[in-house]
Amino acid sequence: MIWKIARELREAGVLGMNRRNGDYIMGYNPRSKFPLVDDKVLTGKIAMEFDVPMPPILSVLETHSQIERFEERLDGTREFVIKPARGAGGSGIILVTDWNENGFIKPSGELVPRLELYHHISNTLSGIFSLAGLPDQAIVQSLVHPDPVFSAVSFKGVPDIRIVAFRGVPVMAMTRLPTRASDGKANLHRGAIGAGIGIADGITRNAVLKSAPITHHPDSGNPVDGIQVPYWEKMLLTAARSYDMTGMGYTGVDQVIDRDRGPVVLELNARPGLAVQIANRVGLWGRLKRVEQAPSQIFSSAETRVVWARETFRR
Amino acid sequence: MKKVFFSIIAVLFFISAVLVSYRIVVLDYPLFPTAPGDSWEISISSRLSKSPANHALAVVGLPIQRTGLTILSESYQSGTLNVGVSREGPNRLAIFSGRSSEDSEFIGYRAFLISLPQKKSAQKSPLTLAPYPDAFGKAEQELAMRLVGQWRNLPSGTRLKAVGGTIRGEWRDAPPVESDLKAWSEVQQKHGRVVSLLGLLRAAGLHARGIEGLRLVRSMRNEPLRLVEAWSGSRWVRLRPETGEELKIPGSLLVLARGGARAIEAREGTVSDTRWNVSELTLSNWRRHFERILRSDNLLDRWSFFHLPREFQDTFRILLLVPIGALLIGILRNIVGFPTFGVFMPVLMALAFRSTGVIYGLAIFAGMMGIGYFLRNALDNMRLLLVPRLSVMLTAVISALTILALVGNKIGLREFMAVGLLPFVILTMVIERFFIMVEESGIRTAMQTALGSAAVAVISYGILHFEELQLTFFIYPELLFGIAAFQLLLGRYTGYRLSELIRFKSFRGAS
Repeated sequence: MIWKIARELREAGVLGMNRRNGDYIMGYNPRSKFPLVDDKVLTGKIAMEFDVPMPPILSVLETHSQIERFEERLDGTREFVIKPARGAGGSGIILVTDWNENGFIKPSGELVPRLELYHHISNTLSGIFSLAGLPDQAIVQSLVHPDPVFSAVSFKGVPDIRIVAFRGVPVMAMTRLPTRASDGKANLHRGAIGAGIGIADGITRNAVLKSAPITHHPDSGNPVDGIQVPYWEKMLLTAARSYDMTGMGYTGVDQVIDRDRGPVVLELNARPGLAVQIANRVGLWGRLKRVEQAPSQIFSSAETRVVWARETFRR
Repeated sequence: MKKVFFSIIAVLFFISAVLVSYRIVVLDYPLFPTAPGDSWEISISSRLSKSPANHALAVVGLPIQRTGLTILSESYQSGTLNVGVSREGPNRLAIFSGRSSEDSEFIGYRAFLISLPQKKSAQKSPLTLAPYPDAFGKAEQELAMRLVGQWRNLPSGTRLKAVGGTIRGEWRDAPPVESDLKAWSEVQQKHGRVVSLLGLLRAAGLHARGIEGLRLVRSMRNEPLRLVEAWSGSRWVRLRPETGEELKIPGSLLVLARGGARAIEAREGTVSDTRWNVSELTLSNWRRHFERILRSDNLLDRWSFFHLPREFQDTFRILLLVPIGALLIGILRNIVGFPTFGVFMPVLMALAFRSTGVIYGLAIFAGMMGIGYFLRNALDNMRLLLVPRLSVMLTAVISALTILALVGNKIGLREFMAVGLLPFVILTMVIERFFIMVEESGIRTAMQTALGSAAVAVISYGILHFEELQLTFFIYPELLFGIAAFQLLLGRYTGYRLSELIRFKSFRGAS
């Protein structure tokens, strides 16, 4: 019974956690390059060199003494995001749309008192949100205004698009759409919708909510499948270039479409999860193997890799 | 790379197997270290009444340690009498003596011993022919000579059989003259069967001695047997004085007295109500090897854990099993897909359960998590920095454990006092992780992980407490190489986790 199921999954090319860790993360992501991906300050620095668009980092807080004069560092910026440089899983992120002497206003209109935000920054510096619990930095980044393309199928929050890239080849993609149940967060565990995106055409398909297939958004009732993602070619190229930029063979590239700037990279992930397979109903391992067998000339540039991917991953 | 990896694993398995086999085959280690062995408890108790001179003295024959017989412990019961142990000829005796205010005193002896089948080479030939028994006069010696003297040229084995046969009235050649036979039965009446048989054997030129001992057999009414031991030229043959036949008994004989001595006799006063008791103990082979290994000169034996002081041995018995616990966690996480807090936290919990017991340990664990969670919730509003906040939690955890210990003392629950050994730092970290997990992934995931951790801790506890396993690893610590090999293999397991078979069930048949 067990062997039979395992064989079926193998035949479907499903990637398991152990193989992801043992063969792909350990095999293709050199330990020395992890900081480039885990630390958003470093990611932001090299992103500029490689023509990978990211929301500009306005300020980096490194010590507790810098918190006292936080408002001065904002230099008049009214809206921003504050996040840990080495945060994991989107924790510790606060969006601010405006502020005054009383405190900071979140997109929901809720007021965060000044001292509470200071405390949050202090916690961030202490490393409470960081991957290894080590002291961290807090970054102030300009706020992204999501493009309305997904507004009919997301509840508050910012829907993002993840492209899994292997050796610089975009192999699989999905979008994560916040729901009321996920509290406006693009987190699948929390109840956000995951919808696969065809690598070839950039159209959403096979939406799932907590691993169960759905066709319509539970809050707005709008259909989730069949949405054409704008700038798709550009997003694929960005994902492909991130490999040249970090040297990490197996990454998840998380992008958001800004209504003014187009797609921007929010973060890179050195340990992308396996849910993307469920949202696409396609096994990732099968695609990774095809990349491993691909002719060497396709790896010559980001453009050739994207062309090859769009021809190969049609389903 | 793959070749090197599997070679390393093969080498680890090989080292492990070779060392274990070497110990078993060459050093004679037990294949099943915890199987019960030939361990016995013997006891003698008797009432010693004083003589008219108001004095009492009794001697009890004691077993003598030799190859194949190890005495683990001995104890004496002597009431108000003095007791001393001394050698007397071939015997080791306990001498109970003194002036007693009572008419009689109970005396007793108890020993724990291990008896192994004796190797043949251990039997040595006597050098000189012993004299006739003291009781035999000149005329009796000559009578014995007339009865069996004509066989002195026969091989000693045949001679022994011939002499033995006379007890049953079987004479090898022609029966002796009527008058001699009559005289001989009078001698037997007078001196008893043992002494007369000894005299007869001496006349036939055979080495012989009387012995008395207990049979080491299970569940039988046990009385010491009086036997005659005679040298057949290659080994000592034990003869029943009643029949002259060789005694063939299952189990071995524990000799208590040799020569003319008795297993128990009063030299002043009288002994009565003598009780003998022999029982087999379920003492393990392990204990026996403990004794043997301590005496061995072999390098592996000298570097054995048995040479550690006793109080440290217990620690190592546990320590050697911790890698198995770690392997188990690896299996549960990577093959089953069990969620746990941290990597080795469940093993540490299992170690803590050793002092509290599993039920109380789990209850304390759950209680501390509950208290800790609410406290952590309250602290969250105070906006404390990370390290001071963890310190506060640590203090709270230790305070709670202290109160628990004091309460345990009041109500007499030892388990509550043993909590001091709980890994409180781990507990503090677990509370913090639990809280974060509740905040980020919801109470459901957090509870699942907590239950998973508790389950793994209980399983690890079961392994750490599995005495047979403890002793096996204690005797064969090289098995750790094998464990390491399994751990390496697990490290390269890239197949699916059982939980993933459910998670990805929608892919079934979708190839």
